[in-house]
Amino acid sequence: MMRGAIAIFKRDFKKFMGNPAIIVMTLFMPIMYLIIFGNAMGGTITHIPIGVAHEDPYGNTNPLFLSTVDALAHFHTEDKPRMFDVTVFSGEATAKQAFADGRVMAVVIFPSEVTNDNVVRLSIDSSEYMIPNLIQSGVSSVIAQSGAENPLQVSKIYGDIQYIQFFGVGVIVMAIFMTTMMGGGIGLIRDRENGIIEGYLVTPVKRSSIIFGIIASGTVKAFMAGFIIFLVDIFVAGIAVDSMETFFMVLIVLFIISIGITSLVISFSSRFSSQQEYASVVAFLNLMLFMTSGAFYPVLGMPPWLRWITTINPEYYAIHALRSLILRGQMALIGWDLVALFVFSGIAITLGIVTYRRTLE
Amino acid sequence: MDSRISSEERDSSTPASIIRIEHLSKVFRDRSRTVKAVDDVSFEVRKGEIFGLLGPNGAGKSTLIRILTTLLQPTSGRAFIGPYDVVRQPEEIRRVIGVCPQNSTLDPELTAYDNLEFYGNLLDIDPRILDARIRELLEMVNLTDRAHAPVRTFSGGMKRKLEIVRAFIHKPLILFLDEPTIGLDPESRREIWLHVAALNDEETTIILTTHYMDEAEKLCDRIAFVDKGRLLRLDTIENLKHSLPSGDLIEIEVETMDEDALAALQADNRLTSVEVRENKILISAENGSRVLPSILETFEHHSLPMASITIRSPSIEDVFIYLTGKGLDAGGGEPASRKGRGRP
Repeated sequence: MMRGAIAIFKRDFKKFMGNPAIIVMTLFMPIMYLIIFGNAMGGTITHIPIGVAHEDPYGNTNPLFLSTVDALAHFHTEDKPRMFDVTVFSGEATAKQAFADGRVMAVVIFPSEVTNDNVVRLSIDSSEYMIPNLIQSGVSSVIAQSGAENPLQVSKIYGDIQYIQFFGVGVIVMAIFMTTMMGGGIGLIRDRENGIIEGYLVTPVKRSSIIFGIIASGTVKAFMAGFIIFLVDIFVAGIAVDSMETFFMVLIVLFIISIGITSLVISFSSRFSSQQEYASVVAFLNLMLFMTSGAFYPVLGMPPWLRWITTINPEYYAIHALRSLILRGQMALIGWDLVALFVFSGIAITLGIVTYRRTLE
Repeated sequence: MDSRISSEERDSSTPASIIRIEHLSKVFRDRSRTVKAVDDVSFEVRKGEIFGLLGPNGAGKSTLIRILTTLLQPTSGRAFIGPYDVVRQPEEIRRVIGVCPQNSTLDPELTAYDNLEFYGNLLDIDPRILDARIRELLEMVNLTDRAHAPVRTFSGGMKRKLEIVRAFIHKPLILFLDEPTIGLDPESRREIWLHVAALNDEETTIILTTHYMDEAEKLCDRIAFVDKGRLLRLDTIENLKHSLPSGDLIEIEVETMDEDALAALQADNRLTSVEVRENKILISAENGSRVLPSILETFEHHSLPMASITIRSPSIEDVFIYLTGKGLDAGGGEPASRKGRGRP
């Protein structure tokens, strides 16, 4: 009995040791999980950009205004860095403009008179997770500390957004990445292992037709996965799409990200000879991209080195674009996201075609 | 079909050649070693024949087929399919050939019908006749009732039949069958032979690789023996058999060898040759059954006991053994793996 068990152990272990990629991934992955999960999820949110302005254009000498702005700029919890990056605007109009452009996440407007019946107005971008609450509690405690008794009037400009809605939009993008990376790529490697691709090569079908067909089917599958989650978000999580234009923009973003990630996966699967190696690398990549995308937790809560990954993470731009469209209804906010997604998809398509073509030679 | 072939037809008395191979070589290199899978091979295949490439595993048959079907580039030498060069005009060649590779390229998750339809589309078959063509092919190999079952549920023989007709869906000029009956039971093999012969009747030239002699003998008009990448002999079955010392083969197994008895046999001028191989005496004679009594008498005279005795006409395997000194199943160089698939 022992001999059989030892034989089976040896066979399996020999194969494991003969495959450095798997060894590295097996040992390296849990450590990376720890580092990335720990930093992406547990970080304190700091440096939230907020704007302040005064109702009266010449009221900047108002003692309440001066002391509160100073207190907000130094506000922090325990020994953490300051929570707010305060920008002082010259008037209410410019502050509101910066808010609408997404440059600041909240705006505090101070009244001209420091009396009890003059309210301090706070507008908050409520489409982020945790940040609205942090701003609200920070501002109210600063005002309270200053001894003023002005009431605080809070308006959440995108209404009350629940976590499932915030997260649900992220899951649309995650669905596209996951289905393509796991399903699509492994299918391609299996086709190659089964010799199905080789079968194509003795027929007169053009190499470009093979690549085009594969990218097209992968894109449609990815798009469908994203679209289904989008519908689930609408009917289950209760998100609302306010106009037909927004709806079509959502579809366009889904399409660009689908074709990009499909091409990237095609290029990846062409470079790996075994399903196992591919799966472990892709599982890791998938996690990295998802954790740093801001789908779960605001990017502001991540350490700088993780935020650096975010800036080159196509998933971040896709999620930001979708949140702007779906939660904020602000088509004007997605310009940069679209540029980033076009660049990503362009590079991915080129890479996919070049590397896949090589496997057909 | 085209000017070059017909001009050759006028020039020579033999039927036109459809495949021409000139000093073809293929060398595989990897870190540890260099393998010459095809070594300076030249031959022609005639239009309409069933041409057999016969040799042990690893002889270079599949490599040769892969070069002819444009999957591999030769290291040196040239090969033509009709007027087309395999290196320069692969696209043209892919239109006129059908390939049934050694390792299945059917999609196991698709149904038989879908697999055929898929290839029909890849091969650019007129969509108006595609459905009828698929039904015709399924009927031909008795798979009509399984048309809509996934291929993974098929037996080995059914898969093989489907793959062969798939290669034939566009009525190619040349059909390449790489080990068409490997791993199949005798019943399925016979059935596949019938189909191959039927396809040949439709004026398709068929190139077949095999390491089964009976298969080559049943099907092929001409046979090329290959071993270790080299072409040993190319001829019709009849001529190959005649290349042996003529007549029947008598094989006598003995427990001990007796020099005197051997000398007596060799002295008999009715026997064309007497050879000793391991514990067997191989005798060839013009008319085996007539000389047998006197051979037995010789054995009795020297009181040499016989373990077994067989008398038969020479087979293709005997020719191969005669040429190489070993059997076809003995194996040659490296195993005929899926080498070269993907990225070599």
